[in-house]
Amino acid sequence: MIKRLWSHRDLVVSLIRRQFQLRYRQSAAGVAWAILPPLVTVGAATVVFDQVAQLDTGSIPYPLFAFAALTPWTFFASSLTFAVPSVVQNHQMVTRLAFPRAALPVSMIGLALVDLAIAGVTFVIFVYVTGSSIPLTALWFPALLLVEMMLVVGVVLFGSALNVFARDVKLAVPLLSQLWLFLTPVLYPLSEVPAGLRPWYRLNPMTGVVESFRSILVYGQAPDMLVLLPSLVGATALFLFGWWYFSSVEHRFADVI
Amino acid sequence: MDVIVTENVTKTYRVGVGRARVREMIPPPLDRAFRRLFRKWWIRDTFNALEDVTLSVEGGSSLGIVGHNGAGKTTLLRVIAGVTAPTAGSVGVSARIAALIDALVGFHPDLTGRENIYLLGAMHGFGRRAMAPRIERILEFAEIGDMADTPVKRFSAGMTARLGFATITALDVEALLVDEVLAVGDASFQRKCINWLDEYRRDGGTLLFVSHNLSLVRNMTERVVWLDHGRVIADGSTSDVLAQYARAMERREADHRPIHKKKEAKKAMLAQGMQRWGAGGARVDEVHMEEPTNGGTELNVAITYEATGIDEAVFCLAFVDEEGREIGASASPPVSINGDRGGIRCTIRLPFRSGIYFPIVAILGPDGVIRDRWKLDRAVVVERGNGEQLADFGPVDLPAGWSTREHEQEDG
Repeated sequence: MIKRLWSHRDLVVSLIRRQFQLRYRQSAAGVAWAILPPLVTVGAATVVFDQVAQLDTGSIPYPLFAFAALTPWTFFASSLTFAVPSVVQNHQMVTRLAFPRAALPVSMIGLALVDLAIAGVTFVIFVYVTGSSIPLTALWFPALLLVEMMLVVGVVLFGSALNVFARDVKLAVPLLSQLWLFLTPVLYPLSEVPAGLRPWYRLNPMTGVVESFRSILVYGQAPDMLVLLPSLVGATALFLFGWWYFSSVEHRFADVI
Repeated sequence: MDVIVTENVTKTYRVGVGRARVREMIPPPLDRAFRRLFRKWWIRDTFNALEDVTLSVEGGSSLGIVGHNGAGKTTLLRVIAGVTAPTAGSVGVSARIAALIDALVGFHPDLTGRENIYLLGAMHGFGRRAMAPRIERILEFAEIGDMADTPVKRFSAGMTARLGFATITALDVEALLVDEVLAVGDASFQRKCINWLDEYRRDGGTLLFVSHNLSLVRNMTERVVWLDHGRVIADGSTSDVLAQYARAMERREADHRPIHKKKEAKKAMLAQGMQRWGAGGARVDEVHMEEPTNGGTELNVAITYEATGIDEAVFCLAFVDEEGREIGASASPPVSINGDRGGIRCTIRLPFRSGIYFPIVAILGPDGVIRDRWKLDRAVVVERGNGEQLADFGPVDLPAGWSTREHEQEDG
């Protein structure tokens, strides 16, 4: 499947381009929509968690603290939102043309990746504007992104395949990603989670990803392996499972869709 | 060399929508186990769209596929194209293949014509750079002019089909699967496509051609496979198989049993759609056709009717050719049909050249309104000893006397 997907990389690029064209066609604000949502969320979270709940984020100002984790989180959540319905949305193609079906969800992840790049640039500007700087540990970024990518690809492949058979999946995505956001230390630190709950938190592969991103981007610390390792294992397992599931049922898509 | 080979291909579909499909999510290893353990449950609500289809297509040849609606023609193309996988058996394709499964081609409605060309190219392994020099040629072939940068959703069905066909012509395919797409679009574009396909075949292209238009099949292919209920009924030279197919249609009697209940009749009428319509008031009840004689040109037809609203009628027996054109009719003198049921006979001589013709029986009221018009689902095969090669000149056999004489010197 990887080989077939690679031979169709032009298709993936073409699909990403297409989504980009479609998204901003007939929208007045255009690309601003890639920058605005994380900024608004950071602002709202700052009011709630910093001003109202007065959360302790150590030496780091809360907006920076939240932004560093929201950026990778948004990549995860929007990948899910874009990619899970993608196979069903393109039923016209699926029922008439032969091409590696994975190109559809994968290109949607690509679209979310473009958003991540825009959000990343916004983040860097935000850091320097607020008078801080990016620490050297940010060099860990590609490695962490790889872990997150595996997780995203795994979940998305499984979800988008399942959605072909049961449309419940697409309907459940907003609810699930909201729940998942609450149960992941994105807007609050893991250290604020009661010690008894923390082992459960580690079962969530996004915990390690988000915490590690934050420590390399704003705290200047290498990832805590105790936190990252469970994520790595979880991400690898989900990646392999999602890949296996998608490739073992993709030949049925055209019949069921 | 065979470029397309299918071996014992069976395709099983599950009937029903919605929840029935949810169980398809079970991945194959588990599914196989379920199939063994709960065979009865597993097999419920399934049907075979293809059963044990084995065929091979030699590179550079063209194969036609004929059969009634639901015979499995499109499924076969889909399986060969790789759009869907066979439930059992194997498919091997060793050529750059492209398929035009239907007139919608798989275009994205929100993208413009031009963007869709790039996308379709990418589906077939052509990058943007490879497609760019072909774009103008495609747009020119499709004749969509200044609509190239308009979303495809604003295209007419004919334009969409033209764009699809035009794009395929630029993809250097070695094997092409075409399913009834030529039925859409106007006659001149159809001609253009046929010319292109002729050239493509001359250049060594392989063609799989599905159509209800038997004369197109006759012109485009040298071999025909006849599918019925997912099985291969015949596989052989185009003229042999088409003759067999037509003869089978000639014998089809199933749809002609009389329908006595009004409700049933209405239902049957609706189900037959364009096959049968009319204003009502009188209805063809049963049509009996005796075995035609004299090469299929002499025909005895017995029609029984049921009159409910009119007391005078004109009966009409018309014929349609393989391409669906109405080519001739005979009308009875006005008949008084006072009485509920009755019958009328017609002896007709068909001035047709060799080919396959489909009869239509109609009842017209005295006002000329069509009360019932029924295109029968059977055929009349006309076989004349000569003139087979004159197919291009139309279906009517003009009566004429021909004589030869020596070239005489005219002396004055």
